[in-house]
Amino acid sequence: MNFGKQLKEGIITNNPVLVQLLGLCSTLAITTSVSNGLGMGVAVLIVLTCSNVVISLLRKVIPDQIRIAAYIVVIAGFVTMVDLLLQAYLPEIAESLGIFIPLIVVNCIVLGRAEAFASKHGILASAVDGICQGIGYTLVLLVICVIRELLGTGAVNGVQIFPAQYAAMMMTLPVGGFLTLGAVIAAVQWAQRKSKGGK
Amino acid sequence: MSNEPVVKEKVDLDPRYIFRLTGILLAICAVVSLLLAVVNSATEPIITAMQAEKTAKAMAQVLQAEEYDPVSVSVPGVTAVSEARTGGKRVGHVVEVTTNGFGGAINMVVGVDADGAVTGVSVIKHTETGNIGTKVVGDSAVLGRFAGMSLDKGEITVNSGANRFDGVTGATVSSKGVAAGVNAALAAVAQLG
Repeated sequence: MNFGKQLKEGIITNNPVLVQLLGLCSTLAITTSVSNGLGMGVAVLIVLTCSNVVISLLRKVIPDQIRIAAYIVVIAGFVTMVDLLLQAYLPEIAESLGIFIPLIVVNCIVLGRAEAFASKHGILASAVDGICQGIGYTLVLLVICVIRELLGTGAVNGVQIFPAQYAAMMMTLPVGGFLTLGAVIAAVQWAQRKSKGGK
Repeated sequence: MSNEPVVKEKVDLDPRYIFRLTGILLAICAVVSLLLAVVNSATEPIITAMQAEKTAKAMAQVLQAEEYDPVSVSVPGVTAVSEARTGGKRVGHVVEVTTNGFGGAINMVVGVDADGAVTGVSVIKHTETGNIGTKVVGDSAVLGRFAGMSLDKGEITVNSGANRFDGVTGATVSSKGVAAGVNAALAAVAQLG
């Protein structure tokens, strides 16, 4: 187990969105403003870490044939609990994230990491994996959010950079999400290949 | 080397194994359900109280009054109507409406004075697109444009007609949704007389 290596994997070499191409639905849907991206990223990070720990704990108890069903139950349970707790104790955050919290259930990153990592590794390594993959997801969301919010509304996190009438509203619509995501994936792949070639 | 798939386990032949699988899954579901029940029973009263408070706040915002007394009326989309009274005198009605916007249901409260004119509109809950639909439902200045409108010149229509509401460019569906909600609220009050 190596925190630095896992962190590097989560952020660049095995980034959940840019390399594994998981969780694209939520990535495209919510990246219209920086506050949304940060909230969703942190929510996924928390659920991912909790579910990774529990699934790692149960990995010897759950038989192979029913593992997917068992993982889904655990993940859905966590998401619902987080949703209820947020609504009760942090209503402002719950309000701004709205529908996205329940959507974490179907976020493939959580199930993907449960299947690919937590079911094969110890509790501590799985918790670290949840945190690292969560950080990687959050960073990608923030990058896409900044690009889309800036080009789409002329602001970053609500702070106006250039007048809104020059902004392309298309960038905050789904089409802008696809364009930005594609460009970011291409840029990261290019940079990685270039840095490898340089060595 | 043969290309035939290798059958690892013949699980479906052993009923005891199937019972074991079912039992484990059942146990996991039971534990999760139990935890959810605990969390739900702890948070439900807080959430309900908060929603009631939010509605009460929105009602006071659209039409200030000392007391709100529920009355029953049946108009599609209208979920509740309250008679607003100050000093025992009726000052108007507060109508809770659910209407359809671009991204789903919009829950809002509409205040209507004794003359049948809108005093204010407040959106409680919505799922409109950020930066587009929210320019209608999240902007009190836009919602404030409904103030003073009534059914005297017919139904409120968006960007056209005698009873014109100026919508937000690019957010026509959201504008129309909110206008439809206000129409329903006015119709409900008109029915009460």
